Amino acid sequence: MTRLIVHRLLQLPLILLVIYTITFTLAWLIPGNPLENPEGRRPPPEIVAAMKAQYNLDNPVVFYFDYLGKATGISWLIGRHDRPFDLGPSLRHENWSVNEILAGSVPVSMTLGLTAILLACLIGITTGVIGALKPGSIADLSTLLLALVGISLPPFVVGTLLLVVFSVWLGWLPVGGWGGVSYLILPAITLSLPFAAYIARLTRFGMIEQLNADYIRTARAKGLPEYKVVLKHALKNAFLPVLSYLGPASAAAMTGSFVVERVFAVPGVGTHFVDAVLSKDLTLIMGVVLTYAAMLIVFNLIVDVLYRWVDPRISLA
Amino acid sequence: MKLIVTLMLLVAMLTALARLDDSTSRADLVYVNRGDVFTLDPQRMSYLKDFRMAYALYEGLVRWDNTDFTIQPAASELPDISADRLTYTFHIKPEAKWSNGDPVTSHDFLYAWKRLLFPDTAADYSNLFFIIDGASEFWAWRNEQLAEFAQDPSAGRATQLWNLAQAHFERSVGIRALDDHTLEIRLRQPTAYFLDLVCFAPSSPVHRPSVEGWPESIASDPRYQERGWIGVELPTLDRCQWAGLNPKTGRFEQKHQWARPGRLVSNGPYILAEWRFQRDMRLVKNPYFHTPEIVKSDSILALTIADTNTSTLAFATGRLDWLTDVNAEYQADMLQQKLAYEQRYANELAEMSIKGRSLDDMLGALPPPEEGERRDIHIFPAFGTDFFSFNCRPFLADGRSNPFSLPAVRRAFALCVNKQTIVEQVTRLNEPVVTTLIPPDSIPGYNNPVGLGYDPNRGRQELESIGWKDRNSDGLIENENGELFPIIDLLWTTNTSRYKWISLELKAQWEQALGVRVELRGVDTRFYKEDLKQGNFMIARGRWYGDYGDPTTFLDLCRSTDGNNDRGYENEYVDAMLDAAALELDPARRMKILEDCERFLFTEEMPLIPICQLVQVYMYEPGRVKGLTQHPRLVQYLWQIEVRKDEE
Repeated sequence: MTRLIVHRLLQLPLILLVIYTITFTLAWLIPGNPLENPEGRRPPPEIVAAMKAQYNLDNPVVFYFDYLGKATGISWLIGRHDRPFDLGPSLRHENWSVNEILAGSVPVSMTLGLTAILLACLIGITTGVIGALKPGSIADLSTLLLALVGISLPPFVVGTLLLVVFSVWLGWLPVGGWGGVSYLILPAITLSLPFAAYIARLTRFGMIEQLNADYIRTARAKGLPEYKVVLKHALKNAFLPVLSYLGPASAAAMTGSFVVERVFAVPGVGTHFVDAVLSKDLTLIMGVVLTYAAMLIVFNLIVDVLYRWVDPRISLA
Repeated sequence: MKLIVTLMLLVAMLTALARLDDSTSRADLVYVNRGDVFTLDPQRMSYLKDFRMAYALYEGLVRWDNTDFTIQPAASELPDISADRLTYTFHIKPEAKWSNGDPVTSHDFLYAWKRLLFPDTAADYSNLFFIIDGASEFWAWRNEQLAEFAQDPSAGRATQLWNLAQAHFERSVGIRALDDHTLEIRLRQPTAYFLDLVCFAPSSPVHRPSVEGWPESIASDPRYQERGWIGVELPTLDRCQWAGLNPKTGRFEQKHQWARPGRLVSNGPYILAEWRFQRDMRLVKNPYFHTPEIVKSDSILALTIADTNTSTLAFATGRLDWLTDVNAEYQADMLQQKLAYEQRYANELAEMSIKGRSLDDMLGALPPPEEGERRDIHIFPAFGTDFFSFNCRPFLADGRSNPFSLPAVRRAFALCVNKQTIVEQVTRLNEPVVTTLIPPDSIPGYNNPVGLGYDPNRGRQELESIGWKDRNSDGLIENENGELFPIIDLLWTTNTSRYKWISLELKAQWEQALGVRVELRGVDTRFYKEDLKQGNFMIARGRWYGDYGDPTTFLDLCRSTDGNNDRGYENEYVDAMLDAAALELDPARRMKILEDCERFLFTEEMPLIPICQLVQVYMYEPGRVKGLTQHPRLVQYLWQIEVRKDEE
């Protein structure tokens, strides 16, 4: 286990370096200049040149290594920069540094994503188990329908629908913004639906398979109550595929969904993914992508560790 | 068991992350911006929503009355103007204070204007202030010095150059602090709109010690407490947290994190209490503001909601007082509902208007709207024009000769645009259609000329007169060699659907009226900007908002040397007229020259086709929200806005 963790953590910087290089190349190729307004006045050419020089935008090689040094903390270690892990000032929002932007938005997206994943597990596993107990029954068909709706309805439709019903008509929950639990409910439900649907299908499939297995017959034969058979024996094994799905799913949910964040005006990271690229805010693009990549790797690692913990037969090292 | 442990762990993590404090408590005024403010550094601003913040946080020397754009005293009394109208002397009010209690002095303004006029700041609006004596020469000088320095950068010389530039500025640029409360500004030539520029957000003062991040210890110096920062010795730049010289380029470089709550020191009606990126910004009353009685709301909350559908829904729940930029796809339908409401009460409204009540007051006094009606959406013509530019260069970007370099061709295309159809059936917002660039009745003393209207017959004649007509009755026009008119490359931007629909309509109108073929090319705004720069288009959408109350804020677009002349339009006569207007001392005669210039441009030359005046759509409950101006320049002072709190 320790070997696995050390091994993966050693890989992390290498993977990040590759991601950094690819993202940098792509982002550099975006046309335009982040320091200029897309609409409106044009600054004189000598000013544009000077501003580009200030942020190393006139030289990709200098930018690449300078940013890499500051972001990783190497520049700080060799004493050429005053702090480690500095992702630079945002090129588009000059009053903010990328670190500050991420510090404000990553916890928001993580809270929303985690709530959504928990909801998705709750809804998905429950409906999956109910469906598997009596395949073909009305309960099974309705869970199937729910899964279908969850997967096929785009979040902006679900989100707007929820807003109109629960906020505008019933007046129970606020529209847009971020603050108390009340702000969390609707976006979390919207974000959780596609995940819930997928988990429901995975659980149902696994459960049907497990419930027909020999050890379940043995368990029933020795007179175990049905709820113990289902929850303790069958579900435990049926849960494994769900668990492996949860790694990438949590990472995806926690790094923010542009659409859900936009519909509910949630100040998360998802917005920056799109806005930063649209405005060619290089430092913000790099900061967001590196954070996302690191999170993805760490979540996958956590899932692998959990996997072994749940089922010690599996060897991953 | 293991599963339960995992779940509990996750829940614990969640609660730790959430810190679910409901800190978005209401403010006296809650309004919504579509995107966050870009910067709170007034010298660096160029967006309307940033300006609006500047007018709340900072107070300039003088300000506009935002209903008629006369000049009113602000941090200074109205200036003394010399007989030759070149020298303006401002007397700064002794009671004016910064939000940390420091006195506002002439040196603060001198400092802010110096920032504006140093190329190092990279201010968008520097060149507007080149009317100050010596400013443009100083700008060029500093750029030259920097270019020279960059050839051979050596460490100590950046500081030396910086000090030299300071001295050169003081010697050569016409801004001087005569004493702590008197500021003198000398212009290159009399400029009718100079005081209008003094009201403009980029001329707001900034507080030097906080902008540069001076060491805290300086504030305890007794000389500082007496005279403000001018009383103490300037700290060297390496002791400043937010400022420094770039050793490679020699430029003065600024970090902008000073413009944040707790650090930003302002002299206007409000101070910045909270700012959470792309979330919200909270302003509270500045305890040191010299005339607190003019400030209507004690606190202001500016929310960022990017999706206009969401903000419209949020408005419907009554959580918001004012939406500044409604742009939902269904806004035209909402405006129809407003019209239905106004029509039902047409008699009552007519009766009340005789008594001289404002429209908002009258609407607020009527019974609430019924199903299918509304009164909370408002459309106002703004200080800007939507237009389509012609590429006026002799050759296109790919080297072909450009048919639109001929004024006759441009006139023909302009004459065949039915603008009324566009605003009634395409945009459905019924914007005022225009034939010239400057929005009508927006500048006192200026009479808009009438440009080319809709006359497709004359349009066809214009083309025939230079040899383009349908010679073989195939519905397309050819020249005498039988060559077809080149396929027209019409460039539009994909950021809103507005330009797609207008472009499609133009294509239909031109193809039908003139017998030409038009191809639409929709691109992202950034590609569009590149294409404009390269001249890679024949016709392209465009728009322009005026910055100050003078015709030149629009007409300068047609100057051959102007940086925003996307059309590549060059005409010596137009340049000469603009130069003549700049030299003319008599205001009425000057306006007449500019009027002639605009008439010439839009009856003969047509470098662009003005379509309609741009509009701004607001949402607020009439009668409940007061203090918004409807003057086309739409400068809204947040401190003037008052929200009636009743049912709460």
